[in-house]
Amino acid sequence: MKRGLIAATGVVAMMVSVAACGSSDSDKGSADGGSKGKSLTVWFMDGSNPPGWTKAVQAEFEQKTGAKLNVQVQKWDGIQQKLTTALSESSPPDVVEIGNTQTPSYAQTGGLAQLDDLKKEIGGDWTESLNKPSVFEGKQYAAPWYAASRVVIYNKKVWADAGIKDTPKTRDEFFKDLEAIQQKGDAEPLYLPGQNWYFFDGLTIGTGADLVKKDGKKYVSNLADPKVAKAMEIYKKYQSFSKAPKDKDEATPQQADVFAKGKTGAFIGMGWEAATAVKANPEIEKEIGYFTIPGETADKPEGVFLGGSNLAISEGSKKKDLAKEFLKITLSDKNEGALAKEVGSLPNKDALLPSLKGQPAAEAAAPAAKTGGTTPLIPEWANVENAPNPIKAYMTAVLGGKSPEEAAKQVEGDMNKRLAQKQ
Amino acid sequence: MSAQIEEAAATGPAPRIGKGGAAPPRRGRGGGAGSVPYLLILPTVAAVVLLLGWTLVKNGLLSFQNLNKRQLIQRVTEWTGVDNYDTVLRSSEFWHVTGRSVVFTAANVVLIMAVGCLIGLLLARLGTKLRLLLSLGLVLAWAMPVVAATTVFQWLFDQRFGVVNYLLDALGWHSMAGYNWTSGQFSTFFVITVLIVWQSVPFVAINLYAATTTIPKELYEAASLDGAGTWKQFTSVTFPFLKPFFLATTFLEVIWVFKAFTQVFAINEGGPDRLTETLPVYAFQEGMGSQHFGMGAAISILTIVILLALTAYYLRLVLKQEEDEL
Amino acid sequence: MRRTLPRTVSRVWPGATAIALFAVFAFPVYWMFATAFKANKDIVSDTPVWFPTSPTFEHFDKAVSADGFWTFVGNSLTVTLVAVALSLVIALLASFAVARMRFKGRKSFILVMMMAQMAPWEVMVIAYYMIVRDVDMLNSLPPLIAIYTVMVLPFTVLTLRGYVAAVPKELEESAMVDGCTRTQAFIKVIFPLLAPGLMATSLFGFITVWNEFPMVLILNKDPGSQTLPLWLTGFRTTFGDDWGATMAASSLFAIPILVLFVILQRKAVGGLTSGAVKG
Repeated sequence: MKRGLIAATGVVAMMVSVAACGSSDSDKGSADGGSKGKSLTVWFMDGSNPPGWTKAVQAEFEQKTGAKLNVQVQKWDGIQQKLTTALSESSPPDVVEIGNTQTPSYAQTGGLAQLDDLKKEIGGDWTESLNKPSVFEGKQYAAPWYAASRVVIYNKKVWADAGIKDTPKTRDEFFKDLEAIQQKGDAEPLYLPGQNWYFFDGLTIGTGADLVKKDGKKYVSNLADPKVAKAMEIYKKYQSFSKAPKDKDEATPQQADVFAKGKTGAFIGMGWEAATAVKANPEIEKEIGYFTIPGETADKPEGVFLGGSNLAISEGSKKKDLAKEFLKITLSDKNEGALAKEVGSLPNKDALLPSLKGQPAAEAAAPAAKTGGTTPLIPEWANVENAPNPIKAYMTAVLGGKSPEEAAKQVEGDMNKRLAQKQ
Repeated sequence: MSAQIEEAAATGPAPRIGKGGAAPPRRGRGGGAGSVPYLLILPTVAAVVLLLGWTLVKNGLLSFQNLNKRQLIQRVTEWTGVDNYDTVLRSSEFWHVTGRSVVFTAANVVLIMAVGCLIGLLLARLGTKLRLLLSLGLVLAWAMPVVAATTVFQWLFDQRFGVVNYLLDALGWHSMAGYNWTSGQFSTFFVITVLIVWQSVPFVAINLYAATTTIPKELYEAASLDGAGTWKQFTSVTFPFLKPFFLATTFLEVIWVFKAFTQVFAINEGGPDRLTETLPVYAFQEGMGSQHFGMGAAISILTIVILLALTAYYLRLVLKQEEDEL
Repeated sequence: MRRTLPRTVSRVWPGATAIALFAVFAFPVYWMFATAFKANKDIVSDTPVWFPTSPTFEHFDKAVSADGFWTFVGNSLTVTLVAVALSLVIALLASFAVARMRFKGRKSFILVMMMAQMAPWEVMVIAYYMIVRDVDMLNSLPPLIAIYTVMVLPFTVLTLRGYVAAVPKELEESAMVDGCTRTQAFIKVIFPLLAPGLMATSLFGFITVWNEFPMVLILNKDPGSQTLPLWLTGFRTTFGDDWGATMAASSLFAIPILVLFVILQRKAVGGLTSGAVKG
């Protein structure tokens, strides 16, 4: 999730000040005694809280409880260390946002409060796949907030210039279209750096590969699996249409900024990255289109990584009830729907999917949600994604000419060490 | 900083300028003044013991613990004996990183000292105006805060719009257009080295220049009467006279380069494939990065041991010479 | 060759080399400022635009308008000035003892100071964190100030020792002959002579403290108590490829130190050399 969200930060960068203007008049409203004068601290990640939405939620919360909401927007630098240390403190933030791939590893630390009752009360219809990361040993430790998956964002003009009439329905059609743009020669067909690892994760979901396997009691690397190799070959084919660096990920440089220059046919990213591009170059807005990443056959879209964020209450919070109130408000159908509308993310329950209507990015993302997946949901996984992520090294190695087997062997040691790291 | 010369002069056998060949140490008022010297060093000792010593001890204790997310959050202590050290010392990775750090430090320090000395000597030969100009350039490089400097160097060596690639291309080295400096181990180290040398040379050069101005002119005159050329003058007058300066500066540069974290980390985060991780970066990745804090503490203790070993020669020398002090 | 050329060559080469070297050393700093003032299209152009022909403040606006910028500036200034001042005062006392007095343990003291410079701060962050957490002083400036003071203290002691030693003992003694106490002699005679040394030494402290970020990142998670390096590194991740804004931020970050160096360094070196030669 991390990189995807970073990519989105450009959009929000100019509006993060929302957090600062929380000068609410908390006297107003139907405050029920106890919470009045209290203040609830919430950590949102840089890029997760669109301004309009945050304002509305804040107003609703303060009106309903009489407490003050203190939203702190956290930068991504060193976020894991910040989160871990914060959870160990005597007055931690009451509510924290945690990426879904990180949630299992924090659930087992004892730093997050149990939310079984909340789940019973409001979470009966949470989408199963989104809720899975929040459950550890049968207990609920976080609540799914939103999810998002990658789509193809393309430049209509570049495609039309290359004589392409329709968006592709299968992977082969997609490759043909990219070839057509390449033949035309005016633009880079696709911008895909070598380490867009969550796109690769989606491809492994598509080929049905597992990144780890069990060896006795331990988990070990499964990168040598032919299904992983197959996914990597697909990635390599995509990457061959791009001049992007093979040893960088999609955030360095921001792929949307590259796309904004109008010399790129398409890139694979989160729907909201389009806004980053528009911010860099408003001219581009009318050219932007979206489509679902096509799969091998027309009936089944490509596998995607379902990135997402959860909200959790810290075990050390002294205002757990108030924090639960906040979660109820934030995760209410109204606010979930509004968030989905504002940024095009997937809401936490299927029933709200209709609120995505008219949001082209979200409409493109929706079909793939059913075939989407995540990273392995084991507490050890977070270690693998800690920089420097060995899977990224694997990708760069294959793109640099090594065979997938060799590359898998090269990073196996590092990966197994991370999976075996004591908890 | 510039006082390093004095510091060095005070520790070395070279003629003492600062003290103007003062008479042999006098006992009495200047000497063992009872408790006064202890009172004077008390604040320093207290601060160092409380804020550094205590933390080092704490760090040492952590290195014998299994301390990860869970233990930190729940504030539990899990002793694991020497497990962390065992794991680190057995891993070939650690020894690779150590070897790499030593080579990296040696290469950088040699470059810094050589280039720094040449520029320092050049400063001494220049007229006032040019000397001021060059000093200004040096001071600008010296003063650049590391965090800003690394950002600027990333921009200079940027693959597509970096000025370095443009210049190399324009100078006829066309394969360097669009060259990705962070794609290889050697090229990444090259950028890091340029950055570190660029930042460190001014310290050596300016101090060396300041130090040469303290060398009595007569020594040079005598040397040139003997028919000594520039090089001979350097080896027979400048170098012996400033030997303590060279030793002290080399010592500091070894420490600074070996410990350089921000530069190495920011340029390519130890990549590609962890091939440019030096010991501090490795300790950071293993400890803070993977939230394996006990392991990080163990590596940091080993880092100190290695650094002590690298500088043992100089520390012994200082110890020996301090005896004849005062 | 050796007969015909040397005179002109030997007269010209030092100057030519000096100018070339000036360009090499100053260029990165120049390029930072130049980029910060250039319009975006001039930054990402295939042939570099060497001078910002139509300077713009747009990047600076963006940099300064980041949330809490002025809080960070205030915190950075407070932390840096206080830590440097503290370390100078504490170190001056110790360096005087070491440079002028003979006492048991002097040698060990010097050795400890030398070894203290080797502490790997980045990796000891977690130990510091646990200590500060346990005394419940996270998210405040005093722990930072204390840690930074100790961070620069060993170097400051060793450096100041050299400056103190460079002040001729005779001056002090003659002052005492004139009826001053040792403390008065120190304040009236030695201290003024030490001023350049103090300035030079403070530069190291300034640059070290001004730059520090791994510590503040973990210790102070509340934006109200954070410092500028966090703003700069956070800025990098937020703006990524936006070199104009990044360079503007870097410029703002570097300016105070650059100015300080250019002002103090000449005084420091001049003072040192004149002081040293006099003796």
